[in-house]
Amino acid sequence: MNAKTLRALAPLVAVAVALLVPLVVSDRFILKVFTFAGINALVVVGLALLFGYAGQVSLGHAAFMGLGAYTSAFCTVELEWPWLLGFVAAGAVAAFGGLILAIPALRLKGYYLAMATLGFGLLMSLAFTEARPITGGVDGFTGIPFPSLGPLEIRSAASLYWLVWGAVGIAVLVAHNITSLRPGRAMRALHGSELGAQACGVDIVGVKVRTFVVSALMAGLAGALYAGVVGFVSPSVFTLTASITFIAMTIVGGTSSLAGPILAAVALTLVQYVDALIPGLPRETAQTIQSYQEDIYGLAIVLVVIFAPRGLAGLWKRRNAGGETP
Amino acid sequence: MTLLQVRGVTRRFGGLTAVDDVSFDVFEGTVKALIGPNGAGKSTLFNALTGFDKPDEGSVLFDGEELVGQRPRDTVRAGVARTFQNTQLFEDMTAGENVMVGCQARQRRSFTTAMLRLPGAIAEDREAREEASRLLRLIGVEEWIDVPAADLPAGIRRLVEIARALATRPRLLLLDEPAAGLNATETRELVQTLFRVRDSGVTVVIVEHDMGLVMEVSDEIVVLDRGRKIAEGPPRMIQKDPAVIAAYLGGDEEDDV
Repeated sequence: MNAKTLRALAPLVAVAVALLVPLVVSDRFILKVFTFAGINALVVVGLALLFGYAGQVSLGHAAFMGLGAYTSAFCTVELEWPWLLGFVAAGAVAAFGGLILAIPALRLKGYYLAMATLGFGLLMSLAFTEARPITGGVDGFTGIPFPSLGPLEIRSAASLYWLVWGAVGIAVLVAHNITSLRPGRAMRALHGSELGAQACGVDIVGVKVRTFVVSALMAGLAGALYAGVVGFVSPSVFTLTASITFIAMTIVGGTSSLAGPILAAVALTLVQYVDALIPGLPRETAQTIQSYQEDIYGLAIVLVVIFAPRGLAGLWKRRNAGGETP
Repeated sequence: MTLLQVRGVTRRFGGLTAVDDVSFDVFEGTVKALIGPNGAGKSTLFNALTGFDKPDEGSVLFDGEELVGQRPRDTVRAGVARTFQNTQLFEDMTAGENVMVGCQARQRRSFTTAMLRLPGAIAEDREAREEASRLLRLIGVEEWIDVPAADLPAGIRRLVEIARALATRPRLLLLDEPAAGLNATETRELVQTLFRVRDSGVTVVIVEHDMGLVMEVSDEIVVLDRGRKIAEGPPRMIQKDPAVIAAYLGGDEEDDV
């Protein structure tokens, strides 16, 4: 099979595999693990646009997820809005947060932008703890209802899985439209050379702002899904560690790619639940892996940056390109 | 017709006056060269003309429109494109994609149109793709269209950057040292390209160190030395101008007190 047919078939196969998982996997816990992988993948699709395509780093993306989670929780529990409305509100609030964070991003680059987004993440994580009347403080927000679409309540493990991965599917579709057309070229141009992009008449400010907003929106929606799936939200979820986990998934997955970061998001999520996935695994081994989880992520970043600066996607592309040139 | 009017442009960096009260005109359909020893202020002047830098004084009129104070994006949209001394290609993108980015200067479809993959966005994309391959063919490098910019040889990089600038549909093209780092064959190809660009109706301003190239392609030359214009005229006159010879050979030092 040549590279072209493979490329055409790969998305179909991926969708089919993703859809079939609940029919094959009967263990509810494992299904939940794959649902979490989908939630992470949704955040990472947004980060892939922001970091992988436009080259703008964010070390505060968990904050957008948190904004979405708390907004959804507040709207459904306190305001008793329908879930779907809360979901939309979650996206809107996170997107607004993205707009705010885009302002420093217009002036800062590289390490300085990393520091600014890191500060934003820490600030928001503090706000989640301190804004007790809205967020419930350190104790968290409990009693969040299951997601529902109109009268249809989504509560079984399989349907939650489909809801989350359906959202991922739509996000990938939108992201693919962006990246394959003019906006995606503008993002990659910005990444490649800001001077060159300006000389081509690219609207630098517009590209940065839109990318931040779309990326924050996706993280916010992921947060709302998280709140619905778990039924409980606490500040300990949306920390710096989570932000770094997301950026690790994006870096390992590779630049200028959506498939790579999604695969990396799934793979690195599964590491956290290695004991459930491999039944025969000795307890000590599982515990060792889990306690070194952050080191594994760190090591993955270091290895990727040294040996495959363009990530898994870069390795795959290089292999294919090698076969094509005469 | 005068396409570009530069009047009294001055740019100071601290105590140094990099460009000092420079004025000249560029006529439509001609090639004008800016030459001068290192540090004469050529690149600073270039940045001032294209919105990448704002001069402290002076005015730059392009077809009657003031360019000073405009952002690079507005300058490009007004019809002034440029290339860079250190080529600013998008390394991870192919030559074709690089040129397609140049087409964005005059594309109007919104972000949402693309996000929803509406027919307008698809049509615009196809136009850009066709325009890119047309321009790469015009420049004579169409066989490199699918090659990532990072893998292009130096000479081809310059030509692709020129094609990218042409994709913005400029009336005036400013080239910053296009022959720097090119070998003799590549320089020949560049000269052919410059003539083709001029014949397609684009006015060209070129900063260049390669005197052979400058004498061959330009209709008029402006000579800068230490920020000031010391001579202006057709190549033959410039070659004989005593002030120019002094500036290049470091003749009498009487003004160096």
